[in-house]
Amino acid sequence: MTPLANILVVDDEIGIGQGCKRVLSAEGYEVDWAEDGTLGLAKIQEKPYDLMLVDLMMPGIGGLDLIRKVHDADPEIIIVVITGYATIDTAVEATKRGAYDYLPKPFAPEVLAGLVKRGLEKRDLRLEAQRLHHEREERLLELAGQKSRLRTIIGCMADGVLVANLERQLVLWNSSAVRMLKLSGADTPDQPLTHYLKNASIIEAFQEVLSGKDKDLSMITREIQLEDPGLVLMAQLAPVRDEGGTLLGAVAVLRDITKLKEIEKLKSQFVSMVAHELRSPLAAIEGWLEVVLSGAAGGGEAQRQAWLARAKERAHSLLGLVNDLLEINRIEAGKVAQKMEPVRMAEVVQKTVEFFRREAEGKGLSLKVDLPDSLPAVQADRQDMEKLFTNLISNAIKYNVERGSITVEATVDENFIAVRVRDTGLGIPADQLPRIFEDFFRVNDERTSKICGTGLGLTICQRIVDSHFGHIEVESEPGRGSTFSVYLPYLRTQTKDKQGLP
Amino acid sequence: MDSHEKILLVDDDPDFLEMHKAVLKNHGYEVLTATSSQEGLERVRAELPDLIILDLMMEKHDAGFSFTRTIKTDPLFKDIPILMVTSVAEATGFRFSLEEDGYWMKADDFLDKPVQPAVLVERVARLLKGRRAR
Repeated sequence: MTPLANILVVDDEIGIGQGCKRVLSAEGYEVDWAEDGTLGLAKIQEKPYDLMLVDLMMPGIGGLDLIRKVHDADPEIIIVVITGYATIDTAVEATKRGAYDYLPKPFAPEVLAGLVKRGLEKRDLRLEAQRLHHEREERLLELAGQKSRLRTIIGCMADGVLVANLERQLVLWNSSAVRMLKLSGADTPDQPLTHYLKNASIIEAFQEVLSGKDKDLSMITREIQLEDPGLVLMAQLAPVRDEGGTLLGAVAVLRDITKLKEIEKLKSQFVSMVAHELRSPLAAIEGWLEVVLSGAAGGGEAQRQAWLARAKERAHSLLGLVNDLLEINRIEAGKVAQKMEPVRMAEVVQKTVEFFRREAEGKGLSLKVDLPDSLPAVQADRQDMEKLFTNLISNAIKYNVERGSITVEATVDENFIAVRVRDTGLGIPADQLPRIFEDFFRVNDERTSKICGTGLGLTICQRIVDSHFGHIEVESEPGRGSTFSVYLPYLRTQTKDKQGLP
Repeated sequence: MDSHEKILLVDDDPDFLEMHKAVLKNHGYEVLTATSSQEGLERVRAELPDLIILDLMMEKHDAGFSFTRTIKTDPLFKDIPILMVTSVAEATGFRFSLEEDGYWMKADDFLDKPVQPAVLVERVARLLKGRRAR
């Protein structure tokens, strides 16, 4: 059975030692005895004691010295001083120096037992208090750790964070917020909001949340245009409430949506351009039908047939436009729609050239192909590659001159294969050259206005090449012709294999 | 209907040029065409037309505006009425009108594309009548 407590009696009188031992053992304590202070100190090194009974008048180390030395070793040991009448003053002195109480000799067993019991209770209480204190310390440390961790996380956030209290003071912010809003005076804390913030819209949003007028308010979202730096921010402000629902402040999260807004703008521009581009051929078709149906332009049967043929031609080009738009959409839908596989470019180019050979020859154009046998394969979507060269060769035919020629050739360098489609056609004026890959852009002059086109062919080419991590370049000289060069990264492993062959 | 008044059509869409030309010729007008504002200005100087029908959205978005400004600030040509035909109205949500835009647009009338042949003929006749009355 575990003893209630370990007790050490230090007394040079063996009678006292044994008496104490007998009385206290009966109470369920384990009791040891030491004859003098030196032996007593040795004992407390060997075994932890809860309580010591110390005779003040001993040879060797005196009682007062012993108290100090014991407490140096273990400050939690309860020390009860045993003393004769003559040394009451010393006993009082001893309690001043850390002894728990004193017991005048001779003492009755029940007095001893009672005093020891109280001493041990005192010790238990003290240990409990210490444990609680320790626990609290630990929790505070943990809290401090959490707080600094949260600070670090908030500090690292890409979104800006601002927290204001009910006094309209800014009490927390992070570096993203400082950067986005160009917060001034951020080194002096707890100033009014207006000290840091210059943007009226966000201040006003803070005021609205902090006013607490709307008890159910959960969030305000504002779009904020900043002149300097030129940013568009989405600010979401939410009230900070305690568990009881009392408003404590407001937190704002700022997200940089500048890029998104730009994309949104581009998309809406594209839509309005598409609408315009669809409208023109439709209006022409309707116009021709109206002319024929109303008879407003007169004309005989042959003339009416010719007008209807014009309408049909525009309808056909409108269909081409819609197909191109679908094509762009397919590329935009992205990698999901692409089926990437090793594609032999020589095969694709040759196939496309053969498809156009009859049309080219019909127009008196010569079509030459010069592809090296060792053209490495490209990881690509076969359909995309066919579309790419269809558009380039079709342009080379459409914008060529009588008795002109088209040459398709390919070269390989250490990173890319380059396929060039060269024509001897009209060429592109230098000022229009940078715009030819733009959506719906068409070179505008007398000769090109007779040629059908959607203005999307090269857009599609560029998007295909981009989605294959390549690039497309153009060189052109008006009256001389144009050369479109497509660069596509090829499959490296294959060349390694080749090198590895004997 | 044998007025032989000269109308200049300026439009970069060959279908509209031809369509409007057919309608107007059928109503007895002499019709000239140009596919760019540059060519249009040249023809105005060379032929001195009685009326100009102009597509607003040509090669550059402001080509129609600068064209009208050039004509209307030239003492030789400022009395030539300009009928502005445009397809921007619905596409952009803008609506041009003589009342609101007449001051700086300087065109004499506006029509939305596609133009009903009957409406075109009616407006042309009205503008030319106004010119003759001056």
